[in-house]
Amino acid sequence: MWINMGPQHPMTHGLWNLRIKVDGETIVDAEPEVGYLHRGIEKLCENRTYTQIIPIADRLCYGSSLTWSHLYCMTVEDLMGIEVPPRAEYIRVASIEMQRIASHLMWLAAYAADLGAMIGFIYTMRDREVFIDLLQALTGSRITYNFPRFGGVAHDIPPNFERDSLRACDYMEKKLKEYEDLFDGSKVFMMRNQGVGVLRKEDAMNLGVTGPPLRGSGVKYDLRKDMPYSVYPEMDFEPATHPDCDCYARYRVRMDEMYESCRIIRQAVQKMPKGKWRTVAPRNAPTGTGLGRVEDPRGEGMMYVVGDGTDRPYRLKIRSPIFVTVSAAKKMLVGYKVADVVAIMGGLDMCIGEADR
Amino acid sequence: MGERGTRFLPEGMEKPASRIDDVPEEKVIRSLLDSFPATVTDFKKLRKGVVRARIERRDLYRCCRFLRDQLGFEHLSMISAVEYDKRFEIVYHISCYGSCLLLELITSTPKDDPSVDSVTSIWGGANWQERESYDLMGIKFNNHPKLERILLPKDILYHPLRKDFKGGG
Repeated sequence: MWINMGPQHPMTHGLWNLRIKVDGETIVDAEPEVGYLHRGIEKLCENRTYTQIIPIADRLCYGSSLTWSHLYCMTVEDLMGIEVPPRAEYIRVASIEMQRIASHLMWLAAYAADLGAMIGFIYTMRDREVFIDLLQALTGSRITYNFPRFGGVAHDIPPNFERDSLRACDYMEKKLKEYEDLFDGSKVFMMRNQGVGVLRKEDAMNLGVTGPPLRGSGVKYDLRKDMPYSVYPEMDFEPATHPDCDCYARYRVRMDEMYESCRIIRQAVQKMPKGKWRTVAPRNAPTGTGLGRVEDPRGEGMMYVVGDGTDRPYRLKIRSPIFVTVSAAKKMLVGYKVADVVAIMGGLDMCIGEADR
Repeated sequence: MGERGTRFLPEGMEKPASRIDDVPEEKVIRSLLDSFPATVTDFKKLRKGVVRARIERRDLYRCCRFLRDQLGFEHLSMISAVEYDKRFEIVYHISCYGSCLLLELITSTPKDDPSVDSVTSIWGGANWQERESYDLMGIKFNNHPKLERILLPKDILYHPLRKDFKGGG
């Protein structure tokens, strides 16, 4: 029997449909359907100037919008051949790591609520505010920031930003220990996570899964280390991996990543050099192609832009990590019970805005 | 499995082993040129770690299989279709776990026959990306297991990313 879970379902966290075929309680086949939120952003971008696309790139993902506008700016900088001043790179790294923590906390909130730990939702959303407030002080807005520019960032850091960031990191590390007690100590949470949704290493690699699900399958692949961009080579951190391949491993990877992000933020704000934070960028891009590749909180984000000499991109292609990851859902779901669907799909951190574009 | 299975190292290893781990871009270029002398052209090192190559579409499948099995490019990052005046270009960004190499493999098809071999059987991650290219740009992928629209409704007749489709505000 085929069951539709979605497009409106508490499990989906966005507008998509998961069709599962069940034999009794056991899942024997699964088929995700996306496209409900398709806004045609790639086509939209072809009729906008390069600068006008920065806020559109923000709208790709509501959970981590800064990474997407940063990725877009990196791509166009590659096309135009713009050098970014070092101070801007440090501001970017600090802000996208804050965004990563905020995104992971939003995931953890939704995940905890899905698995019946409602108190986890309240705690994590409360602590997400700390980083949202920092980003608001830096950029002026809370969800969609419109902050990076070609050749830098829009503003310099506000007064006391270093002090506040360091305080936020200290606070966050304390709170992360509290979450670990809360979740790892909860028998219900562990029973719904451990051994559920196993995605073997070979499958994860073949299916193009990236980000925390891949590292949760024991593959140490993090673009911040493997193909470093911005000033990540100067940062001292360790990509989190876990060998268990199940939902618990993915949860663990994200928790460890938040610790690492705190480390990176500390280094970035302390090492930040003085100087310019923005350079002048040309209005028109040359003929050619540009490529950007970042480690989004959800996986490998990538953009490919083709310029034709005008002030508008000829073609902009966006690689969404979740679009590829969700195509591997069948491998994770088959063989488990219907009740496990929430844990398995919730553990992927779905963001339909970027999957459908 | 067999040959493919042996490439995964036991637990505790730092990075998945790959034969191009510490090999510069030139080695990839040389081995590709040796294996496909007639169809691979136009090599360019774009920046450190990024290599671009063009391949004729009749050899695309064999070349991709060679890349995965012999050179260790196990991760297909992205498939993008770009429309030009006289041709479609399909750009494959292929990388490899644990190395800084990214290969930009470009193949082109004429306007009146936009079809190319599917690489889904090589990299499973290509499945939905090829469907997306079919949906939005109208590229046909031969031997694809399920070439259907994915983002747009099934009854739509056009391919909106083509330049002759006006829209997008």
